[in-house]
Amino acid sequence: MDTLIEVKNLMKIYNPGENEVRALNDISLQIARGEFVAIIGQSGSGKSTFMNMLGCLDVPTSGSYYLNGKDVAGLLDDELSEIRNKEIGFIFQGFNLIPNLTALENVELPLIYRNVPAAKRRELSVASLKKVGLEFRMEHKPAEMSGGQQQRVAIARALAAAPPVILADEPTGNLDSASSKEIMQILKDLHKDGRTVILITHDDKIAESARRVIRIMDGKIVSDICQKEEEKEDVKN
Amino acid sequence: MSQFLEYLKMAVSNIRGNKMRSFLTMLGIIIGISSVILIMSLGNGAKNVITEQLAGIAAGQIALYTYDETGSYQITEGDIEAIETEVKGLKGINTYMSADGSTNTRKGEFQVSASGQRASYSVFSTSEIRTGRYFNEQDYLSGTPVCVIGEKDAVRLFGSVDVLGMNLDVNIWGTEVSFKIIGVEKAEQESMFTFTYDNSPVTIYFPLTVLAQIYGVGFDTYYQIYLMAEEGADTAAITSQVVELLERRHQCYGEDIYQYESFSDYMGTVNTVINTVTMLISLVAAISLIVGGIGVMNIMLVSVTERTREIGIRKALGAKTRSIMLQFLSESAIITMIGGLIGIISGIAGAFLIAKIVASVNPLLAFTPSVNIATILLTTLFSSAIGLFFGIYPAKKAAKMSPIEALRRN
Repeated sequence: MDTLIEVKNLMKIYNPGENEVRALNDISLQIARGEFVAIIGQSGSGKSTFMNMLGCLDVPTSGSYYLNGKDVAGLLDDELSEIRNKEIGFIFQGFNLIPNLTALENVELPLIYRNVPAAKRRELSVASLKKVGLEFRMEHKPAEMSGGQQQRVAIARALAAAPPVILADEPTGNLDSASSKEIMQILKDLHKDGRTVILITHDDKIAESARRVIRIMDGKIVSDICQKEEEKEDVKN
Repeated sequence: MSQFLEYLKMAVSNIRGNKMRSFLTMLGIIIGISSVILIMSLGNGAKNVITEQLAGIAAGQIALYTYDETGSYQITEGDIEAIETEVKGLKGINTYMSADGSTNTRKGEFQVSASGQRASYSVFSTSEIRTGRYFNEQDYLSGTPVCVIGEKDAVRLFGSVDVLGMNLDVNIWGTEVSFKIIGVEKAEQESMFTFTYDNSPVTIYFPLTVLAQIYGVGFDTYYQIYLMAEEGADTAAITSQVVELLERRHQCYGEDIYQYESFSDYMGTVNTVINTVTMLISLVAAISLIVGGIGVMNIMLVSVTERTREIGIRKALGAKTRSIMLQFLSESAIITMIGGLIGIISGIAGAFLIAKIVASVNPLLAFTPSVNIATILLTTLFSSAIGLFFGIYPAKKAAKMSPIEALRRN
């Protein structure tokens, strides 16, 4: 098995001292390339903190984190920016598109920060928007699109730079059930195409889409279950 | 470099996206720059006009006078001859004396300012001959009663400028003198320094020796003489040469008996005054520029706070501290540069407008504002510098934001 993510004894402690909060308490796990993993937990369970660690948005208090073979636990701000840009495609609950940029410009953003030349950038972004079925909405601004469409733009943005990890934080949290279904289908398709997808959610139903479900509670992993892929597909369809 | 272009593009699209706000931000800079340009070009324009007009009156002229109570240091005819032969670069030496008189013509009675001059009057006159001629050395030596008058005075006296050869009887201190008019001078261009009123005396210019005849004494010593330097001559060098010569002839080395005032000294003083006033007002305007810069900083700070989420998104997607910093810096630099540009244009336009209004209110004060490239370059540079300087703090603030903090906020 080709390990993409390896986390060992990860700790995140807020307010060290008497009132310390152990948001992550000694978490260890491995995720292989090509897996579809759901990390599930109630609010306050530490799943958001964990997602920040996995997304290299924050650094752990202690422990180690190897991402694609690189130790990223002790990196500096700008180094983390570079890792995020190269290794991770983010999909957020609130879409997090920049409001005064068009769909295409939003998708181009990570490529700009990767120094991709303008022509190549456009080509990759257009291809990425086609993949999520938004080739006719490229010049629209986020406010001119539905929630589902906005989230598809965000997915296109996450895909454009072809990062090894897709990190989706409650991607359907702000969507109606029809759009949710659409988005989940796209994520599943991505997984089928061989991408590694990590889905963070509080919703068991959403988590069911994933083949492996990791449950977090009070900063600790309480269960880590693999299901059979075929079964799941049958149930959904 | 291509990366830098991207930040510029981002900045431009953001400025475009917030047109009203961007304009308001620019306003401080626009006002600051335009007032600096306005004041400087008005100041320069006024200076040019004053220089030009004073040059018309007195360019190259040096007044030399003596404070002498004993009488032994007065400037003599011998001194004047010595200066004429020994000092190079002089067009002429003049002395004059005025007397009040009156005359009656068919147009009525007029006060006359009778100005006795040496033959070199022709080079000292700020006007030029229209018809006829100036009186010459021979007229001077023989004391011939011939005179030159201005065309306006000719019209006042006779109702015509065609007065050559006519006689003008003037009563000077009880003596009736019949002057033959041999020359009519062109009317001087009116300037802010000439004031004429209806019953101002008419002025006639004639050989000084005529006055000597009236008074019954010969003039051969003077308290004051005027030197006219040739164009482009070094007036300071000429002056010191003349003073040295006089001190030698009167045996009074280094006693500062002979004083002088040259036109260039006078011009220097006038220029210093105008420059000082211009600089002072410009300084006040420059302060408004700094206030404008602080305005830019304020708005950029608000903008950073408002766009916290955008900064978070950009950072999450891989923007580095430097990228965010450059993006925000470009924004404030562009805003101030555009503001500066608008300021320069409106400053120049304003200066011309003011000049036009002044000219229509009082044509005598008319002048053309003068804008120099150095001022424009300097103010442009200054406004960009302000943009960068006041943009640094907000840009740093934006760049240092942690992505999770920034994303968490709405």
